[in-house]
Amino acid sequence: MKQNKTVQYLFLVPGLILFALIFGFSIILLVSTSLTDWTIGSDRVFVGLKNYINLMHETSFLSSLKNTIIWIVLQSTVHVAIGTSVALILMRKKFYWKFVRTVYMIPNIVSAAAVGMMFSIILNPEFGAVNNFLKIFLGHDFSQNWFMDKSTAFGSVTFTWLPYAATITILVLAEISAIDSSIYEAAKLDGVTGFQEVIYITLPLLKNIIGTCAILGGTSMLQKLDIIMMTTQGGPRDTTMNLPYYIYKTALTNNDFGMANASGVYLIILGSITVFAINKLFHIGKDKG
Amino acid sequence: MKKLGTVLIGIFITLIIIISVVPFVWVFVSSFKSNFDIISGNAGFTQGLHPENYITAFKMAPFLIFFRNSLLISIIGTMLNLVTMSMAAYVIARFTLKFGNVVKLLFTSVLFIPGAALLYPLFTTMRLLNLYNSKTSLVLVYAGLGMATTFYIMLSYYRTIPKSLEEAAYIDGASFFRTYMQIILPLTKPCFATAGVLQFLLCWKEFQFALTLTTGNEVRTVPIALYYFTSQFASDYGAMFAATTIIAIPSIIFYVVLQKQVINGLTAGSVKE
Repeated sequence: MKQNKTVQYLFLVPGLILFALIFGFSIILLVSTSLTDWTIGSDRVFVGLKNYINLMHETSFLSSLKNTIIWIVLQSTVHVAIGTSVALILMRKKFYWKFVRTVYMIPNIVSAAAVGMMFSIILNPEFGAVNNFLKIFLGHDFSQNWFMDKSTAFGSVTFTWLPYAATITILVLAEISAIDSSIYEAAKLDGVTGFQEVIYITLPLLKNIIGTCAILGGTSMLQKLDIIMMTTQGGPRDTTMNLPYYIYKTALTNNDFGMANASGVYLIILGSITVFAINKLFHIGKDKG
Repeated sequence: MKKLGTVLIGIFITLIIIISVVPFVWVFVSSFKSNFDIISGNAGFTQGLHPENYITAFKMAPFLIFFRNSLLISIIGTMLNLVTMSMAAYVIARFTLKFGNVVKLLFTSVLFIPGAALLYPLFTTMRLLNLYNSKTSLVLVYAGLGMATTFYIMLSYYRTIPKSLEEAAYIDGASFFRTYMQIILPLTKPCFATAGVLQFLLCWKEFQFALTLTTGNEVRTVPIALYYFTSQFASDYGAMFAATTIIAIPSIIFYVVLQKQVINGLTAGSVKE
């Protein structure tokens, strides 16, 4: 039996090696080098919190921080609301529900690079479908450059992910199907109508999963690099810059590794705040009974 | 009142369908158009169908190599992730180990670390290990990125398997390792499918590390193909539409065929304790 115990510990080893290699070592490297002045061709010099302080005066960093926060807020509210609404409609299992569930998922399943490419074609000022459609509709020439005009860039980028909430829909639908149907029968006897039923019975029971969805939606915004690279590259004038893109640019274009890694630490802090705040708001896990 | 509600729901659902389908259909249809028809915004095909856009696209970018790389990296990355996490989750779910909770905490902490923060550190690590610009680096990174989700899916599944099965095996004198291989693993096929589909999608769609950890076409994957060839395609719009279609279609087919597993995976993966 003693031998078995050793084998049990050995079973943890491959996972731990993977963790150490990908996360453990990287995080030590991230935090330690964020305290150094480190650019291409130079030695690392310890500078304490200088990078962190300098970032707070960097306009590019500040706009990427601001945009990331706005996108987190939007994705954990509007995005979740859209996904939940679709789920509340599909739960009635009308003839179209399976079709909508499948079709809605397509933009989420295709790699974001292809989605980004698709949107940059559709919103192309010269031959894009949207401008062509508006031309016919308005009856005059229309050449809005959606991704490159300062007034529309942020909105256009936001549109590439905000309404595509099929993952939320699927999660909420799964939770709805787990609701005890006797609750609805009791409500029916009390004369509760369709709309009231949703507001007073279904939604409160979905509080936990909606909280989870808010976390999923919010934290997904800490990762958005692909679509921005395919469409605006953070421009015009940093209006669509976010933290991942800022980190990418600082490290691999400007070769300022100390600053890039300090921004990485800020990103982790922002992620933790997001998860903590949403958890607090929804009291996830508490008052289940 | 009720009628109004039905109408509003109808409009809402129609909009959802339009934004999900129309862009793809438009790109697909346009991929058969001539450059002239695309630029002049013609709805029809005034110059006939141009399926050769696809040949041009394949000539401009080595898509076949990218697909082969993606497939290889996704399959091995998924296997590595499933094997390591199933082993760890099994012993943590079943036995009281001294550092069991610490390990659990470590694997959970991964959820709080956005990959983008590790962009440059992983670049440095892979250089140090001499793995920069290799498929191995992507396999390792992807297997790591999905570890928390797989771990939790497996952990909750192992807890549903009755202990009596293993106890019977131990009484018969089977070793721990043999019990795991012959009794436990065969039972966890559904959970491997659920976690595997999610992990495969993660590998298949990943962009930022594919971009930063590779420099040559011989290791690049499908998602970054479009990024590198945008400028080439800029002169030939038909080929650009064809390229986008080439990238999108395999994922759509994968989803339609494995829809049930994808849905199970998403549901199981989000419900963390």
